[in-house]
Amino acid sequence: MKTALKYAAAGAALLIAIAPVYWLVTISLKREIDQFAYPPAWFVFEPTLEHYSDAFRGSFTAFFLNSVTLATGSTIAALLVGVPAAYGLARFDWPRNWNENIAGWILSTRMLPPIVTIVPLFLMLREARLLNSLVGLTIVYTAFNLPFVVWMMRGFFDEVPREIEEAAMLDGETAVGVLLRIVLPLVKPGLAATAVFCLIVAWNEFLFALILTQTESAMTLPVGIASRVTQYEIKWGAMSAAGVVAMLPVLIFASVAQRYLVRGLSLGAVKG
Amino acid sequence: MSDGLELDRITKRFGTREAVSGVSLAAKDGEFIVLLGPSGCGKSTLLRTIAGLEAPDEGVIRLAGRDITHREARDRDIAMVFQSYALYPHMSIAENIGYPLKVRKRGQPEIAREVEHVAARLGLTSLLKNLPRQLSGGERQRVALARAIIRRPKAFLMDEPLSNLDARLRVEMRAELKHLQHELRIVTLYVTHDQAEAMTLAHRIAVMRDGRVQQYDTPSNVYHRPANTFVAGFVGSPSMNLIEDPGSNVTLGIRPEDVELSRTEQSGWTQARVYVTEEMGNETLVVLNAGAMRVTARAGAGSLFDFDAPVWFRFRPDKIHRFDRGSSLRLPD
Ligand SMILES: Nc1ncnc2c1ncn2[C@@H]1O[C@H](COP(=O)(O)OP(=O)(O)O)[C@@H](O)[C@H]1O
Ligand SMILES: [Mg+2]
Repeated sequence: MKTALKYAAAGAALLIAIAPVYWLVTISLKREIDQFAYPPAWFVFEPTLEHYSDAFRGSFTAFFLNSVTLATGSTIAALLVGVPAAYGLARFDWPRNWNENIAGWILSTRMLPPIVTIVPLFLMLREARLLNSLVGLTIVYTAFNLPFVVWMMRGFFDEVPREIEEAAMLDGETAVGVLLRIVLPLVKPGLAATAVFCLIVAWNEFLFALILTQTESAMTLPVGIASRVTQYEIKWGAMSAAGVVAMLPVLIFASVAQRYLVRGLSLGAVKG
Repeated sequence: MSDGLELDRITKRFGTREAVSGVSLAAKDGEFIVLLGPSGCGKSTLLRTIAGLEAPDEGVIRLAGRDITHREARDRDIAMVFQSYALYPHMSIAENIGYPLKVRKRGQPEIAREVEHVAARLGLTSLLKNLPRQLSGGERQRVALARAIIRRPKAFLMDEPLSNLDARLRVEMRAELKHLQHELRIVTLYVTHDQAEAMTLAHRIAVMRDGRVQQYDTPSNVYHRPANTFVAGFVGSPSMNLIEDPGSNVTLGIRPEDVELSRTEQSGWTQARVYVTEEMGNETLVVLNAGAMRVTARAGAGSLFDFDAPVWFRFRPDKIHRFDRGSSLRLPD
């Protein structure tokens, strides 16, 4: 009886989560005439791939590449800056116990709603001539992901037994060598999970991309897809097809993240 | 000026708390020194200061005649074995052992040869491809030792390296460690709170308490001529009986094996009652109450005494230690 209830609850949750995705996928495969059929054609319709070719005909490919560049670039940048920062906070004693203050300060930048920073960001990027550019967006996304990287990685570094690092120092390793050859391999699951989170955040981000890019040259997928809503028509089929393609990388990231998350967060991975 | 390791008035504070207070020790090249003391007395801190993992607030450390007080840990040429072994979890046993050589950019063939040599010596040959987590505690301990000896450092530091092993293995490894150190002839500082380890391993023991060295001497002298009541009570098991002499300002010390027992009255001996008898197999410990005084005596195996049985005892006159009650220091014999 209990199990039945559990399955029923899980089933309901699954249904709620899957329904919009199912809708999206079916719309992307339906001819226009079936899209608006009433009652809706839930399961039976004549599939077509025309919306996919339609989607790819426009600037979709460029948007896709923009998103890939942006997500990868900002994730790498956030890791390059955030990982050493996190290690510094986890391992070196700052004067007057400032570790906690600095860490709290970094986290606090995530406490305000992102939208409140949009006007200063817009003005700063305009002054720097970085509006409508991937570089500008990369900087913004990096800044956005940085606190997250620092906090996640600091937690993982804290779990590495200090004596292992001290043993490496006595074995003749430099501080940078300890980080690169001893500590990073040990927190690899955590590093991977952090990277995947950054990738997903950057990939899905809509608001900043919408406001900071007005021309197609630096437009990302979410913005590009939304731009299919025009004054005159809404291309449901092409939008859905683009949506499905945009979803795929996230699905892949997420499944990778899942594997590493379990390992990264259960710390047996680090302890001998 | 000299070979070996020399500590000159080392002091280390954590905030206002002094963990190590003006410790001076000199160890000759090849000497096995044990730092012995109760937990929290600053042994690990002292060792970490020598290793370069903590900076001393005062004092000078010299190794092989050179002042290394302000050198980075990696430039000191000191190897350390940690209580937790601190093996690298993501590296195979062979990589763990060879790591100090790899860091020193030795060639692959040389590293492989040395690793094989050291592994054979410590009985690790069949485990070289394993990861640390696949090994038992005793095997990990050997790997930690192998990693320490492979580069023939100028000094070894060991922080309670045997304390995570079970009792039988501990005694076995203790003997092996002693022989290994004898072969290598590298000055070794070994930290323990176990006085049996200290007695068996050390050329000289430094007994520590509250960050200070109480006595620095051979095991035999630490046992037979303890410098103060703390050393007297800490070294030896069961501990030395320490008895306040009511008539004077002197504390008397007598080891349980130097208390003579008799079931019958002897002239000049003191009468007492048996409080409890502890049968140890190879000996029997008899705890006596004589007035307000409680004395532990060591009797032969199989000696049986009933609770509250009357017995007579005396202290072997030539075995009595005398300490000043005020300063707790040993008085001249
Ligand atoms: N990093 C540290 N920060 C503050 N206090 C410390 C630190 N390390 C050790 N201590 C203190 O110094 C004293 C000596 O510790 P330790 O050297 O570990 O003793 P032992 O190894 O003899 O058990 C203890 O009171 C301990 O609490
Ligand atoms: Mg200790």
